[in-house]
Amino acid sequence: MPIHEKSLIRPENLQVHENLEVEGVDVSGHWSTFIESRVVSDYNEAIEDEISALPGGENIHRCWQCGSCTNACTVHAINADFNPRYWIYLIRMGMESELLRDKDIIWQCVSCNKCTYACPRDVFPEGVMKATAHWLELKGHTPKSHSTIFDEIFSEQVIETGKIEDGRTIRRFFKQTGQALRQPWLEEMVKRMLRNLPIGMLTRMGMANFIQPKTSGWSGARDAIKEYVAEQEAHHRAALGLDDLVKMAETELKTGAAK
Amino acid sequence: MSKPILIVGGGPAGLAAAHSLATFGQSCIVVEKEDRLGGAPILEGYAKLVPSGEWAKDAIGGMVDRASGHELVDVRTSTSVTSFSGEAGDFTAGLSDGEPVNVSAAILCTGFTHFDSANKPEWGFGTYPDVVTTTQVEQMVSSGQGVRCPSDGRKPKRVAILLCVGSRDRQIGREWCSKICCTVSANMAMEIREELPDCHVYIYYMDIRTFGLYETKYYWKSQEEFKVKYIKARIAEVTSDGEKLIVKGEDTLVKRPITIPFDMVIHAIGMDPNVDNPDLSSIFGVDLEPHGYIDKASSYSASGLTNKSGVFVAGAATGPETIDDSIAQGKAAAMAVLEQRQLAARLVS
Ligand SMILES: Cc1cc2nc3c(=O)[nH]c(=O)nc-3n(C[C@H](O)[C@H](O)[C@H](O)COP(=O)(O)OP(=O)(O)OC[C@H]3O[C@@H](n4cnc5c(N)ncnc54)[C@H](O)[C@@H]3O)c2cc1C
Ligand code: SF4
Ligand code: SF4
Ligand code: SF4
Repeated sequence: MPIHEKSLIRPENLQVHENLEVEGVDVSGHWSTFIESRVVSDYNEAIEDEISALPGGENIHRCWQCGSCTNACTVHAINADFNPRYWIYLIRMGMESELLRDKDIIWQCVSCNKCTYACPRDVFPEGVMKATAHWLELKGHTPKSHSTIFDEIFSEQVIETGKIEDGRTIRRFFKQTGQALRQPWLEEMVKRMLRNLPIGMLTRMGMANFIQPKTSGWSGARDAIKEYVAEQEAHHRAALGLDDLVKMAETELKTGAAK
Repeated sequence: MSKPILIVGGGPAGLAAAHSLATFGQSCIVVEKEDRLGGAPILEGYAKLVPSGEWAKDAIGGMVDRASGHELVDVRTSTSVTSFSGEAGDFTAGLSDGEPVNVSAAILCTGFTHFDSANKPEWGFGTYPDVVTTTQVEQMVSSGQGVRCPSDGRKPKRVAILLCVGSRDRQIGREWCSKICCTVSANMAMEIREELPDCHVYIYYMDIRTFGLYETKYYWKSQEEFKVKYIKARIAEVTSDGEKLIVKGEDTLVKRPITIPFDMVIHAIGMDPNVDNPDLSSIFGVDLEPHGYIDKASSYSASGLTNKSGVFVAGAATGPETIDDSIAQGKAAAMAVLEQRQLAARLVS
């Protein structure tokens, strides 16, 4: 539903009481329906700080809510609920519950970057979408998205070997996301490759499945990249206070066990 | 030697006019009702000015020194004009300190009056000590004390600046935009964030009017470098829960009511017509325009003309103006006086 058509009263905010007595008078039933308050009673400044600490979210504070990103957006054209401008605002004002209502569509950003070129303030909305999806995953609001799983498999392989081997990537991706390897489009693609690619190349591709070639002298680069990634991850976890949460949970468990 | 020119008001406009006239060998008398020269920036203790970034006491203080130090400028502080008669080239002005003076023209540089926030009681000024005005915060900064909550001297953690207080409000008969308060507020928000990096600053606006080059230097910079937040909402009321101020309104972007706790609320007060304008109008025979400022005649032939020949006007006396524009108008009015003197001399010879 386009944002300007959004109803101010949502079904979940209606409270119907099966049994309600007020000063001795029975007021149960639909005619005494109450509407929960929609008042925003505080700003949560932490959320903007957290998302701006993740890659892509750095410029979120620049947004002046012009709507150019939403107007340009590929996904918005198909799904009017997909509204980068609106989410940026919710993040900036710390309206978390409102943001979480849309947690299952934020990841749908296709990274076309049309918003990036439309934005007059260099907010980089595409990056913000990525950072937000990442934030939702790190905070445990959403499961790892397929694209995150793909990215992880892909980068793990590149970091380990300095090379990318498509067959392995696709197999692992399908396995981890619970998809069948036999997909009609994939079979068609392999068929056409067999028909059109030179024999030498096909043999090399086939061999790569078994011998896992590495870029020579890669280990130095690998260690450096790994160190950098670990640093970044630690930085993101710290910004989101995730380690503190873990510690809290651990102490709770311990004290619980002691009781 | 020709008769002196009467300049009423010793703010930026009056000081600029006096200095220009004296530089061209024209004597003048500056009549200022307060005990000091400098106008609003000095009398109200403004901090760093926009857009120069210079301290008001240095920038405007320098103007005071240049004008009052000139031998052709006769300064009369704690004085006002009680009567004004005659015609262009030969006026007699009665002064409150007794002796009347004979002058050939007058320039009214009488400025504005700060809006009194007590006229918007729903925004808490006068009821809660931590609701303050932009002038009070200017003084906190210029005195070196820093931005503190008046109630207990603590450093605020969250500050709201309400724009258009006393401007653009038909409820209280003020339709004009005071022109500079958006820019002054953006600048103030940056000063607060600079002094107190842990303090979040929210600006509640109807429109942002950081016109021209102020866009980059104040609006964008305050957002991009200082993470000041702008919320499109006109606040309904400011109350208190006993501990914090509670700002109530509607967040127009999410179409939801807000009741947000704040440590400090700043009113970006506007520029009212000078309360003396009705008196000035009757003494000098100049018309006021519908809002109550001194009416300007067409500016295509000469600057600063009023309906009355020989009486000129410059600066915030004509409507909300910035310091730079007030200075330019003061100089332009001085130029208009000199042009008339030249014309008169040619007619005589
Ligand atoms: C909070 C605030 C911050 C501001 N900050 C800035 C800024 O950073 N940069 C900027 O460009 N502008 C700023 N402004 C606007 C600035 O104050 C005005 O542009 C400027 O003061 C106008 O100069 P003026 O000489 O016309 O009038 P004024 O400064 O008002 O001077 C008028 C003088 O005339 C005297 N006077 C008045 N009536 C009489 C009378 N009847 N007889 C004798 N004397 C009289 C007054 O005492 C006063 O000295 C700010 C305004 C506000 C409210
Ligand atoms: S990058 Fe994402 S948010 Fe931006 S226009 Fe494309 S789909 Fe929309
Ligand atoms: S285009 Fe840029 S400035 Fe405009 S709403 Fe989107 S992110 Fe904000
Ligand atoms: S300059 Fe800004 S704050 Fe001042 S009256 Fe105009 S719009 Fe309102």
